[in-house]
Amino acid sequence: MNDIVNRSAFAMKRQMDANFEKKGVLTGLFSGCTWGANNVLLGFALTLVPVLSGDAALYAIPLAAACINDTCAGLWLLLYNMSAGRLKEIFRSLKTMPGLMVCIAALMGGPIANSGYLLGISMAGPAYALTITALYPLVGAILSRIFLKQQILPRVWAGMLLSVVGAIIISYVPPEGDNSANFYLGIFFASLAALGWGSEAVLAVFGMSMIDPKIAINIRELTSGLCMAIFILPVVGGWAVLSEIIVLPATFATFAIAALAAGVSYLAWYMANSKCGVAKGMALNGTFVMWGVIFSAIFLGQELTQNLVAGSLCVLCGATLVAINPKEFFHKTEVA
Amino acid sequence: MDNLLPIKFRILHYLSTVETACADDFLIALKDEYGREKYFKKSVITEHLMDMKANFIIDDDEVLLDDAGQLVIYYKINDEGRKLLKKYLPKSWKNA
Repeated sequence: MNDIVNRSAFAMKRQMDANFEKKGVLTGLFSGCTWGANNVLLGFALTLVPVLSGDAALYAIPLAAACINDTCAGLWLLLYNMSAGRLKEIFRSLKTMPGLMVCIAALMGGPIANSGYLLGISMAGPAYALTITALYPLVGAILSRIFLKQQILPRVWAGMLLSVVGAIIISYVPPEGDNSANFYLGIFFASLAALGWGSEAVLAVFGMSMIDPKIAINIRELTSGLCMAIFILPVVGGWAVLSEIIVLPATFATFAIAALAAGVSYLAWYMANSKCGVAKGMALNGTFVMWGVIFSAIFLGQELTQNLVAGSLCVLCGATLVAINPKEFFHKTEVA
Repeated sequence: MDNLLPIKFRILHYLSTVETACADDFLIALKDEYGREKYFKKSVITEHLMDMKANFIIDDDEVLLDDAGQLVIYYKINDEGRKLLKKYLPKSWKNA
Protein backbone atom coordinates (compact mmCIF):
# COMPACT_ATOMS: atom_id res chain seq x y z
CA MET A 1 0.00 0.00 0.00
CA ASN A 2 2.78 2.40 1.03
CA ASP A 3 4.58 1.53 -2.14
CA ILE A 4 1.58 2.53 -4.25
CA VAL A 5 1.24 5.84 -2.38
CA ASN A 6 4.97 6.53 -2.84
CA ARG A 7 4.77 5.78 -6.53
CA SER A 8 1.80 8.07 -7.07
CA ALA A 9 3.52 10.81 -5.04
CA PHE A 10 6.60 10.57 -7.26
CA ALA A 11 4.46 10.49 -10.40
CA MET A 12 2.68 13.67 -9.23
CA LYS A 13 6.01 15.33 -8.49
CA ARG A 14 7.40 14.42 -11.92
CA GLN A 15 4.28 15.96 -13.45
CA MET A 16 4.70 19.08 -11.31
CA ASP A 17 8.36 19.44 -12.36
CA ALA A 18 7.42 18.96 -16.02
CA ASN A 19 4.70 21.61 -15.71
CA PHE A 20 7.17 23.99 -14.05
CA GLU A 21 9.64 23.57 -16.92
CA LYS A 22 6.88 23.95 -19.50
CA LYS A 23 5.69 27.12 -17.77
CA GLY A 24 9.24 28.51 -17.92
CA VAL A 25 9.53 27.82 -21.66
CA LEU A 26 6.09 29.24 -22.48
CA THR A 27 6.78 32.32 -20.35
CA GLY A 28 10.07 32.82 -22.21
CA LEU A 29 8.34 32.58 -25.59
CA PHE A 30 5.63 34.96 -24.39
CA SER A 31 8.34 37.44 -23.36
CA GLY A 32 9.75 37.30 -26.90
CA CYS A 33 6.31 37.81 -28.43
CA THR A 34 5.46 40.81 -26.24
CA TRP A 35 8.93 42.31 -26.75
CA GLY A 36 8.34 42.05 -30.51
CA ALA A 37 5.03 43.87 -29.98
CA ASN A 38 6.84 46.50 -27.90
CA ASN A 39 9.42 47.04 -30.64
CA VAL A 40 6.73 47.57 -33.27
CA LEU A 41 4.64 49.85 -31.02
CA LEU A 42 7.74 51.82 -30.03
CA GLY A 43 8.68 52.14 -33.69
CA PHE A 44 5.21 53.49 -34.38
CA ALA A 45 5.41 55.88 -31.40
CA LEU A 46 8.73 57.22 -32.72
CA THR A 47 7.06 58.19 -36.00
CA LEU A 48 4.80 60.51 -33.97
CA VAL A 49 7.72 62.41 -32.43
CA PRO A 50 8.29 65.87 -33.99
CA VAL A 51 11.15 65.85 -36.50
CA LEU A 52 14.51 66.89 -35.09
CA SER A 53 17.79 67.11 -36.91
CA GLY A 54 21.44 66.15 -36.42
CA ASP A 55 22.64 64.70 -33.14
CA ALA A 56 19.20 65.08 -31.58
CA ALA A 57 17.75 62.61 -34.05
CA LEU A 58 20.75 60.29 -33.69
CA TYR A 59 21.01 60.03 -29.90
CA ALA A 60 18.44 62.14 -28.06
CA ILE A 61 15.27 60.64 -29.57
CA PRO A 62 16.18 56.93 -29.20
CA LEU A 63 17.56 57.45 -25.70
CA ALA A 64 14.56 59.54 -24.64
CA ALA A 65 12.31 56.79 -26.05
CA ALA A 66 14.24 54.13 -24.11
CA CYS A 67 13.92 56.26 -20.97
CA ILE A 68 10.13 56.68 -21.40
CA ASN A 69 9.80 52.97 -22.21
CA ASP A 70 11.61 51.84 -19.05
CA THR A 71 10.09 54.45 -16.73
CA CYS A 72 6.50 53.85 -17.90
CA ALA A 73 7.03 50.07 -17.81
CA GLY A 74 8.30 50.51 -14.25
CA LEU A 75 5.17 52.50 -13.34
CA TRP A 76 2.87 49.86 -14.91
CA LEU A 77 4.70 47.18 -12.92
CA LEU A 78 4.42 49.29 -9.78
CA LEU A 79 0.64 49.39 -10.23
CA TYR A 80 0.62 45.62 -10.76
CA ASN A 81 2.71 44.95 -7.65
CA MET A 82 0.71 47.41 -5.53
CA SER A 83 -2.55 45.75 -6.51
CA ALA A 84 -1.09 42.37 -5.51
CA GLY A 85 0.03 43.76 -2.14
CA ARG A 86 3.75 43.53 -2.90
CA LEU A 87 4.74 47.20 -2.44
CA LYS A 88 6.53 46.54 0.87
CA GLU A 89 8.54 43.79 -0.81
CA ILE A 90 10.11 46.38 -3.13
CA PHE A 91 11.52 48.40 -0.22
CA ARG A 92 12.58 45.25 1.64
CA SER A 93 14.40 44.00 -1.43
CA LEU A 94 16.19 47.31 -1.99
CA LYS A 95 17.68 47.03 1.50
CA THR A 96 19.43 43.75 0.64
CA MET A 97 22.49 42.95 -1.46
CA PRO A 98 20.50 40.84 -3.99
CA GLY A 99 18.19 43.85 -4.50
CA LEU A 100 21.20 46.09 -5.13
CA MET A 101 22.52 43.55 -7.63
CA VAL A 102 19.28 43.93 -9.57
CA CYS A 103 19.96 47.69 -9.59
CA ILE A 104 23.41 47.05 -11.09
CA ALA A 105 21.75 44.70 -13.61
CA ALA A 106 19.42 47.59 -14.48
CA LEU A 107 22.36 49.93 -15.12
CA MET A 108 24.09 47.34 -17.31
CA GLY A 109 20.98 46.50 -19.35
CA GLY A 110 19.52 50.01 -19.39
CA PRO A 111 21.72 53.12 -19.66
CA ILE A 112 25.02 51.33 -20.45
CA ALA A 113 23.73 48.85 -23.06
CA ASN A 114 21.30 51.28 -24.71
CA SER A 115 23.91 54.03 -24.99
CA GLY A 116 26.54 51.55 -26.21
CA TYR A 117 24.12 50.24 -28.84
CA LEU A 118 23.37 53.68 -30.27
CA LEU A 119 26.98 54.89 -30.10
CA GLY A 120 28.12 51.61 -31.70
CA ILE A 121 25.73 52.04 -34.62
CA SER A 122 26.70 55.66 -35.03
CA MET A 123 30.48 55.13 -34.95
CA ALA A 124 31.02 51.66 -36.45
CA GLY A 125 27.96 51.55 -38.70
CA PRO A 126 24.93 49.26 -38.37
CA ALA A 127 26.51 46.35 -40.28
CA TYR A 128 29.08 45.70 -37.57
CA ALA A 129 27.27 47.10 -34.54
CA LEU A 130 24.03 45.14 -35.06
CA THR A 131 25.96 41.91 -35.62
CA ILE A 132 27.97 42.38 -32.44
CA THR A 133 25.00 43.37 -30.29
CA ALA A 134 23.00 40.37 -31.60
CA LEU A 135 25.55 38.18 -29.81
CA TYR A 136 24.27 39.22 -26.38
CA PRO A 137 22.47 35.89 -25.66
CA LEU A 138 25.77 34.07 -26.13
CA VAL A 139 27.50 36.52 -23.78
CA GLY A 140 24.78 35.91 -21.20
CA ALA A 141 25.04 32.14 -21.58
CA ILE A 142 28.83 32.18 -21.20
CA LEU A 143 28.64 34.44 -18.13
CA SER A 144 25.91 32.28 -16.57
CA ARG A 145 28.10 29.20 -17.15
CA ILE A 146 31.05 30.90 -15.44
CA PHE A 147 29.40 32.81 -12.61
CA LEU A 148 26.16 30.93 -11.92
CA LYS A 149 27.59 27.47 -12.79
CA GLN A 150 24.47 26.84 -14.88
CA GLN A 151 24.66 23.71 -17.01
CA ILE A 152 23.90 24.35 -20.68
CA LEU A 153 23.15 21.33 -22.86
CA PRO A 154 24.80 21.08 -26.31
CA ARG A 155 21.28 21.20 -27.82
CA VAL A 156 20.63 24.55 -26.09
CA TRP A 157 23.99 25.94 -27.29
CA ALA A 158 23.12 24.85 -30.85
CA GLY A 159 19.65 26.43 -30.62
CA MET A 160 21.12 29.67 -29.28
CA LEU A 161 23.70 29.84 -32.07
CA LEU A 162 20.98 29.29 -34.66
CA SER A 163 18.85 32.05 -33.09
CA VAL A 164 21.79 34.47 -33.04
CA VAL A 165 22.54 33.72 -36.72
CA GLY A 166 18.85 34.35 -37.46
CA ALA A 167 18.93 37.67 -35.59
CA ILE A 168 22.05 38.71 -37.54
CA ILE A 169 20.40 37.80 -40.86
CA ILE A 170 17.28 39.80 -39.96
CA SER A 171 19.19 42.90 -38.92
CA TYR A 172 21.84 42.56 -41.65
CA VAL A 173 22.82 45.78 -43.35
CA PRO A 174 25.57 45.72 -46.01
CA PRO A 175 28.76 47.45 -44.82
CA GLU A 176 29.20 50.89 -46.33
CA GLY A 177 32.94 50.58 -46.73
CA ASP A 178 33.84 54.08 -45.49
CA ASN A 179 34.73 53.32 -41.90
CA SER A 180 34.64 56.39 -39.71
CA ALA A 181 37.59 57.60 -37.69
CA ASN A 182 35.89 56.25 -34.59
CA PHE A 183 35.28 52.79 -36.06
CA TYR A 184 37.11 50.85 -33.33
CA LEU A 185 35.52 52.97 -30.63
CA GLY A 186 32.16 52.04 -32.18
CA ILE A 187 33.08 48.35 -32.05
CA PHE A 188 33.97 48.86 -28.39
CA PHE A 189 30.59 50.48 -27.66
CA ALA A 190 28.69 47.74 -29.52
CA SER A 191 30.60 45.12 -27.50
CA LEU A 192 29.75 47.05 -24.35
CA ALA A 193 26.07 46.81 -25.30
CA ALA A 194 26.31 43.02 -25.79
CA LEU A 195 28.13 42.75 -22.46
CA GLY A 196 25.53 44.99 -20.81
CA TRP A 197 22.51 42.97 -21.96
CA GLY A 198 24.28 39.66 -21.36
CA SER A 199 25.43 40.53 -17.86
CA GLU A 200 22.05 42.02 -16.94
CA ALA A 201 20.40 38.61 -17.08
CA VAL A 202 23.17 36.97 -15.06
CA LEU A 203 23.20 39.61 -12.32
CA ALA A 204 19.39 39.63 -12.18
CA VAL A 205 19.14 35.85 -11.97
CA PHE A 206 21.67 35.88 -9.16
CA GLY A 207 19.61 38.49 -7.31
CA MET A 208 16.41 36.58 -8.01
CA SER A 209 17.77 33.56 -6.15
CA MET A 210 16.66 35.53 -3.12
CA ILE A 211 14.08 38.01 -4.33
CA ASP A 212 10.84 37.64 -6.27
CA PRO A 213 11.21 38.11 -10.07
CA LYS A 214 8.08 40.31 -10.04
CA ILE A 215 9.85 42.66 -7.62
CA ALA A 216 13.21 42.39 -9.36
CA ILE A 217 11.82 43.52 -12.70
CA ASN A 218 10.02 46.45 -11.09
CA ILE A 219 13.29 47.59 -9.49
CA ARG A 220 15.09 47.05 -12.80
CA GLU A 221 12.73 49.14 -14.89
CA LEU A 222 12.46 52.06 -12.47
CA THR A 223 16.23 52.15 -11.81
CA SER A 224 17.02 52.07 -15.51
CA GLY A 225 14.43 54.72 -16.42
CA LEU A 226 15.43 57.10 -13.62
CA CYS A 227 19.17 56.72 -14.24
CA MET A 228 18.71 57.40 -17.93
CA ALA A 229 16.63 60.47 -17.12
CA ILE A 230 19.16 61.82 -14.61
CA PHE A 231 22.54 60.88 -16.09
CA ILE A 232 22.18 60.18 -19.82
CA LEU A 233 19.44 62.44 -21.18
CA PRO A 234 20.98 65.74 -20.00
CA VAL A 235 24.21 64.88 -21.88
CA VAL A 236 22.47 64.18 -25.21
CA GLY A 237 19.76 66.83 -24.99
CA GLY A 238 17.10 64.23 -24.33
CA TRP A 239 15.09 66.36 -21.92
CA ALA A 240 14.07 68.62 -24.80
CA VAL A 241 12.69 65.55 -26.61
CA LEU A 242 10.92 64.37 -23.46
CA SER A 243 9.25 67.72 -22.93
CA GLU A 244 8.01 67.68 -26.54
CA ILE A 245 6.58 64.16 -26.22
CA ILE A 246 4.84 64.73 -22.90
CA VAL A 247 2.72 67.61 -24.26
CA LEU A 248 1.41 65.49 -27.15
CA PRO A 249 -1.30 63.26 -25.60
CA ALA A 250 -1.63 60.83 -28.54
CA THR A 251 2.14 60.40 -28.84
CA PHE A 252 2.61 59.94 -25.11
CA ALA A 253 -0.31 57.48 -24.94
CA THR A 254 1.31 55.40 -27.71
CA PHE A 255 4.57 55.34 -25.74
CA ALA A 256 2.63 54.33 -22.61
CA ILE A 257 0.92 51.44 -24.45
CA ALA A 258 4.28 50.32 -25.86
CA ALA A 259 5.66 50.46 -22.31
CA LEU A 260 2.82 48.24 -21.11
CA ALA A 261 3.98 45.61 -23.61
CA ALA A 262 7.56 46.18 -22.41
CA GLY A 263 6.56 45.73 -18.76
CA VAL A 264 4.69 42.50 -19.50
CA SER A 265 7.58 41.26 -21.63
CA TYR A 266 10.29 42.04 -19.09
CA LEU A 267 8.21 40.49 -16.31
CA ALA A 268 7.86 37.32 -18.36
CA TRP A 269 11.56 37.33 -19.28
CA TYR A 270 12.72 37.65 -15.67
CA MET A 271 10.29 34.91 -14.61
CA ALA A 272 11.53 32.63 -17.42
CA ASN A 273 15.19 33.31 -16.54
CA SER A 274 14.44 32.40 -12.97
CA LYS A 275 12.65 29.17 -13.94
CA CYS A 276 14.67 27.75 -16.81
CA GLY A 277 18.07 29.45 -16.60
CA VAL A 278 19.74 32.35 -18.39
CA ALA A 279 20.67 30.54 -21.61
CA LYS A 280 17.18 29.22 -22.32
CA GLY A 281 15.50 32.40 -21.10
CA MET A 282 17.62 34.60 -23.37
CA ALA A 283 17.21 32.35 -26.40
CA LEU A 284 13.43 32.24 -25.99
CA ASN A 285 13.26 35.99 -25.42
CA GLY A 286 15.43 36.37 -28.54
CA THR A 287 12.47 35.26 -30.66
CA PHE A 288 11.36 38.90 -30.43
CA VAL A 289 13.16 39.62 -33.72
CA MET A 290 10.95 37.04 -35.44
CA TRP A 291 7.80 38.34 -33.73
CA GLY A 292 8.80 41.88 -34.72
CA VAL A 293 8.98 40.77 -38.37
CA ILE A 294 5.57 39.05 -38.13
CA PHE A 295 3.84 42.00 -36.42
CA SER A 296 5.39 44.52 -38.81
CA ALA A 297 4.21 42.49 -41.80
CA ILE A 298 0.67 42.11 -40.43
CA PHE A 299 0.04 45.52 -38.89
CA LEU A 300 2.40 47.87 -40.70
CA GLY A 301 2.36 46.14 -44.10
CA GLN A 302 6.15 45.78 -44.10
CA GLU A 303 7.49 43.88 -47.10
CA LEU A 304 8.84 40.41 -46.28
CA THR A 305 12.31 40.25 -47.83
CA GLN A 306 14.32 37.03 -48.24
CA ASN A 307 16.54 38.07 -45.32
CA LEU A 308 13.56 38.57 -43.00
CA VAL A 309 12.03 35.20 -43.88
CA ALA A 310 15.30 33.24 -43.73
CA GLY A 311 16.35 34.94 -40.47
CA SER A 312 12.94 34.37 -38.86
CA LEU A 313 13.03 30.68 -39.79
CA CYS A 314 16.49 30.37 -38.22
CA VAL A 315 15.23 32.05 -35.03
CA LEU A 316 12.18 29.77 -34.96
CA CYS A 317 14.26 26.61 -35.43
CA GLY A 318 16.78 27.81 -32.83
CA ALA A 319 14.10 28.58 -30.24
CA THR A 320 12.40 25.23 -30.90
CA LEU A 321 15.70 23.44 -30.39
CA VAL A 322 16.24 25.33 -27.12
CA ALA A 323 12.74 24.58 -25.86
CA ILE A 324 12.15 21.02 -26.98
CA ASN A 325 14.35 17.96 -26.84
CA PRO A 326 13.67 16.35 -30.25
CA LYS A 327 14.38 12.86 -28.86
CA GLU A 328 11.79 13.21 -26.10
CA PHE A 329 9.33 14.93 -28.43
CA PHE A 330 9.38 12.18 -31.06
CA HIS A 331 9.47 9.47 -28.40
CA LYS A 332 6.27 10.91 -26.89
CA THR A 333 4.65 11.04 -30.31
CA GLU A 334 5.50 7.39 -30.94
CA VAL A 335 4.02 6.36 -27.59
CA ALA A 336 0.89 8.36 -28.28
CA MET B 1 9.58 50.57 7.95
CA ASP B 2 9.70 46.92 9.03
CA ASN B 3 12.93 44.96 9.34
CA LEU B 4 11.63 41.94 7.45
CA LEU B 5 13.53 40.20 4.71
CA PRO B 6 11.98 39.82 1.24
CA ILE B 7 9.85 36.69 1.59
CA LYS B 8 11.91 34.55 -0.80
CA PHE B 9 15.08 35.45 1.10
CA ARG B 10 13.31 34.64 4.39
CA ILE B 11 12.22 31.24 3.05
CA LEU B 12 15.85 30.41 2.28
CA HIS B 13 16.89 31.68 5.69
CA TYR B 14 14.21 29.65 7.46
CA LEU B 15 15.34 26.52 5.62
CA SER B 16 18.82 27.03 7.09
CA THR B 17 17.35 26.79 10.59
CA VAL B 18 15.49 23.51 10.13
CA GLU B 19 16.31 20.09 8.72
CA THR B 20 13.58 20.12 6.06
CA ALA B 21 10.31 22.00 5.50
CA CYS B 22 7.30 21.91 3.17
CA ALA B 23 5.14 24.84 1.98
CA ASP B 24 2.66 24.44 4.83
CA ASP B 25 5.50 24.60 7.39
CA PHE B 26 6.47 28.04 6.04
CA LEU B 27 2.87 29.24 6.23
CA ILE B 28 2.80 28.38 9.93
CA ALA B 29 6.35 29.43 10.86
CA LEU B 30 6.30 32.81 9.07
CA LYS B 31 2.68 33.72 9.82
CA ASP B 32 3.61 36.22 12.55
CA GLU B 33 5.91 38.08 10.15
CA TYR B 34 4.00 38.05 6.87
CA GLY B 35 0.56 36.77 7.83
CA ARG B 36 -1.19 40.09 7.23
CA GLU B 37 0.15 40.45 3.70
CA LYS B 38 -2.02 39.61 0.72
CA TYR B 39 0.56 37.64 -1.21
CA PHE B 40 1.56 35.42 1.73
CA LYS B 41 -0.06 32.26 0.45
CA LYS B 42 0.84 28.68 -0.30
CA SER B 43 0.97 29.08 -4.09
CA VAL B 44 3.52 31.91 -3.77
CA ILE B 45 5.69 29.93 -1.34
CA THR B 46 5.51 26.83 -3.55
CA GLU B 47 6.61 28.85 -6.60
CA HIS B 48 9.53 30.40 -4.67
CA LEU B 49 10.64 26.96 -3.50
CA MET B 50 10.56 25.59 -7.06
CA ASP B 51 12.44 28.65 -8.36
CA MET B 52 15.13 28.21 -5.72
CA LYS B 53 15.44 24.54 -6.57
CA ALA B 54 15.79 25.44 -10.27
CA ASN B 55 18.60 27.80 -9.24
CA PHE B 56 20.37 25.00 -7.35
CA ILE B 57 20.33 26.62 -3.91
CA ILE B 58 17.90 24.16 -2.30
CA ASP B 59 17.12 20.49 -2.97
CA ASP B 60 13.94 18.52 -2.60
CA ASP B 61 13.93 15.80 0.02
CA GLU B 62 10.95 13.70 1.06
CA VAL B 63 7.93 13.45 -1.27
CA LEU B 64 4.60 12.13 0.02
CA LEU B 65 0.83 12.42 -0.18
CA ASP B 66 -1.14 13.92 2.71
CA ASP B 67 -4.45 12.54 4.02
CA ALA B 68 -6.34 14.46 1.34
CA GLY B 69 -4.18 12.93 -1.39
CA GLN B 70 -2.35 16.22 -2.01
CA LEU B 71 1.32 16.18 -2.92
CA VAL B 72 3.68 17.36 -0.16
CA ILE B 73 7.33 18.09 -0.96
CA TYR B 74 9.93 18.71 1.71
CA TYR B 75 12.92 20.86 0.83
CA LYS B 76 16.35 21.30 2.39
CA ILE B 77 19.00 23.93 1.89
CA ASN B 78 22.26 22.87 0.18
CA ASP B 79 25.84 24.18 0.34
CA GLU B 80 25.24 26.79 -2.38
CA GLY B 81 22.25 28.15 -0.47
CA ARG B 82 24.25 28.30 2.77
CA LYS B 83 27.08 30.11 0.96
CA LEU B 84 24.61 32.73 -0.31
CA LEU B 85 23.21 33.27 3.17
CA LYS B 86 26.68 33.55 4.68
CA LYS B 87 27.60 36.18 2.13
CA TYR B 88 24.40 38.20 1.71
CA LEU B 89 22.24 37.83 4.81
CA PRO B 90 22.06 41.28 6.48
CA LYS B 91 24.13 41.52 9.68
CA SER B 92 21.07 42.16 11.84
CA TRP B 93 19.73 38.77 10.75
CA LYS B 94 23.00 36.93 11.27
CA ASN B 95 22.99 37.86 14.92
CA ALA B 96 19.26 37.20 15.36
